[in-house]
Amino acid sequence: MTPVPLGLTRPKPWLLPAVILLVLFSFVAAVLLGVVDIPAADVASVLAGSGSPEARSIILDIRLPRIVTGILAGIQFAVAGLLLQTITRNPLADPSLMGVSQGATLTVTAFLLFTVYIFNPGSNTVAELPIAWLPLAGMVGGIAAGGVIYIMAFRLDLSPLRITLCGIAIGAVLHALAIGLIAGWGSARIEIILEWLSGSLYARTWDHAIFLLPFTIAGLAALPLIYRPLVLLQFDSAVARSFGLSYRKQFSLALLVSCTLAASAVGAVGPIVFVGLMVPHLARFLAGRDFPLVLPLTVVLGAVIVTLGDLIGRLVGQAEEVPIGVVTAIVGVPVLLALVRKAP
Amino acid sequence: MGTRKSSIAIGLVFAATLLIVLFGLLYGARTLSIDAVLRVLFAPDGKIESILVWTLRLPRSLAAAVAGSGLAVSGYLLQALTRNPLADPGITGVTAGAVAPIVGCFVLLPWFSSAYYPFVGLAGGLAAAWVTFWVARGGTGRPLHLALAGVSVSLFLGAITIYMLLLAGPQSTALLFWLSGGFAGRTWSHLVHMLPWVGLGVVGALSLHRVIAMFALSDHAAAGMGVQLHFWKPVLLLLGICPVAGVAPVAGPVAFVGLAAPHIARLLRPSGTAFEIALTAAIGALMVTCADFIARTIAIPKELPVGIITALLGGPIFIYLIQRGRVGIKGTTA
Repeated sequence: MTPVPLGLTRPKPWLLPAVILLVLFSFVAAVLLGVVDIPAADVASVLAGSGSPEARSIILDIRLPRIVTGILAGIQFAVAGLLLQTITRNPLADPSLMGVSQGATLTVTAFLLFTVYIFNPGSNTVAELPIAWLPLAGMVGGIAAGGVIYIMAFRLDLSPLRITLCGIAIGAVLHALAIGLIAGWGSARIEIILEWLSGSLYARTWDHAIFLLPFTIAGLAALPLIYRPLVLLQFDSAVARSFGLSYRKQFSLALLVSCTLAASAVGAVGPIVFVGLMVPHLARFLAGRDFPLVLPLTVVLGAVIVTLGDLIGRLVGQAEEVPIGVVTAIVGVPVLLALVRKAP
Repeated sequence: MGTRKSSIAIGLVFAATLLIVLFGLLYGARTLSIDAVLRVLFAPDGKIESILVWTLRLPRSLAAAVAGSGLAVSGYLLQALTRNPLADPGITGVTAGAVAPIVGCFVLLPWFSSAYYPFVGLAGGLAAAWVTFWVARGGTGRPLHLALAGVSVSLFLGAITIYMLLLAGPQSTALLFWLSGGFAGRTWSHLVHMLPWVGLGVVGALSLHRVIAMFALSDHAAAGMGVQLHFWKPVLLLLGICPVAGVAPVAGPVAFVGLAAPHIARLLRPSGTAFEIALTAAIGALMVTCADFIARTIAIPKELPVGIITALLGGPIFIYLIQRGRVGIKGTTA
């Protein structure tokens, strides 16, 4: 089989330098800026391996782990959104709009509440929460929600918009269940769970980054495998079939990768909403319909958007910082509204 | 269904609601005998049974009934106005629009009297509805777009609400209970605060049933029959939002009642719009009293939020409506 011609537009010559500049700018700004002022020279010496103990602990133990966690989570949400948008042929698809994030949220909430209940009835500190298991707990719910999307797409044979709407309804039900669980059984842990529920990078450690890393790598490694089918899944099932693909099999595989990425990220940082919606649109806006370019651009921009969003949240709120999930919702909703208003 | 049958149907639903309220008086953390309930109901004596019935169980059951009828009529008006079967205070963003500024006032302006919360809710609900209808270009004709616009508005306000909860610190527990919707600890004064707003919506809808019936056809038909669209559209929208503004400060968001009740009422095919509205109100009251009864008896001594029960019941109805293509009625396509 010869590959389908994909390069519908030539990449703009300024795109690569602009993206590199953006990545450098966001990373440098995220390391340099924060509630505590650290002169750039001190930051540089910390990164070079020396520097004062205070500066070292702020940079190496607080800022860097949260930046790296944010980058990994941003990549995961963005790629998950791109995959969902491609396979459902729906520009409005996003883990937080299709019920995937809410499914993961529900299982993580239940896990947080009931494990602490069973193992440490008296405690309510963050450190004792079983961080290592959260992404796995999230995946149970996220992949279950993916199963529902699969049923809606094939058993019920719904159109893309109807699938989105059903996903929203399922998300609303799952969210209500999660809030009910917290209200009913949260007791002393309510504030911790709320912090996480709003999608936050606050107090994220290297542990979080290390737990996310295998999922990020596995998800990105799966992309070359599903890349060619993915290109065809953009069209309808007849086109995919005419290229000898099992439409249902490829759809399921891509859906599984997408749900795994989104759900594990929800487990680590909570539901950072709309990143999966916005980033692919931004990538398409910059790269046109050139899928081989949209894919890497989505990865890079996912990392950048979350880094910048978290930086804004840190700086705006100062002592009482605005969670990144709130920042992305405030930026993302106008994008979504514009898409709905533009829709035919 | 004829006029007489419609009246009977409304009567039956009403009787069922009263029955549930009565059941609600009997059962709870402490079960009372029917003799004891009837005795204190007619002769309150200040003893424990009397307090259970008169200060705890009766006001909250009645509040649930009033809230249910208000939300149901609100959903009915929004559906009629937009000719969109998916319209509902929750889906169009009206509920989130009412809830978010109330949470904001509670957290940021603690000196602000809660007596004014319905007005805050009304303003927020109107603003949210305005954005939703603007994005969906009036809301008529494209049911899915209205729903998507409303959901986006809800998500936006939901994110702000969660941030307010974080700012609230220790108070967030109480807010969280309120946000999951429910009637635990609601008193007579809550009921009295809610009643005028719900009454305005229900009585207004009933008395305007002729205008509403014409809206159900099309804007052109309504205009052709002499309905002043520019006047009646905002009036009906305001009437549809009033009950939500009244209910939200008391019970928080109670999901999907406004969506489901009108559809269930229509399934019974009552004769004429006035009966349809009355039946919708009665079914809404029955739904929420049932949900409240389940919420407080299923996990004694714990209490589940009512919003969860209605979401669990209403979510499947929503999906059924979409799946059965109900969103494409009256010549519109999804």
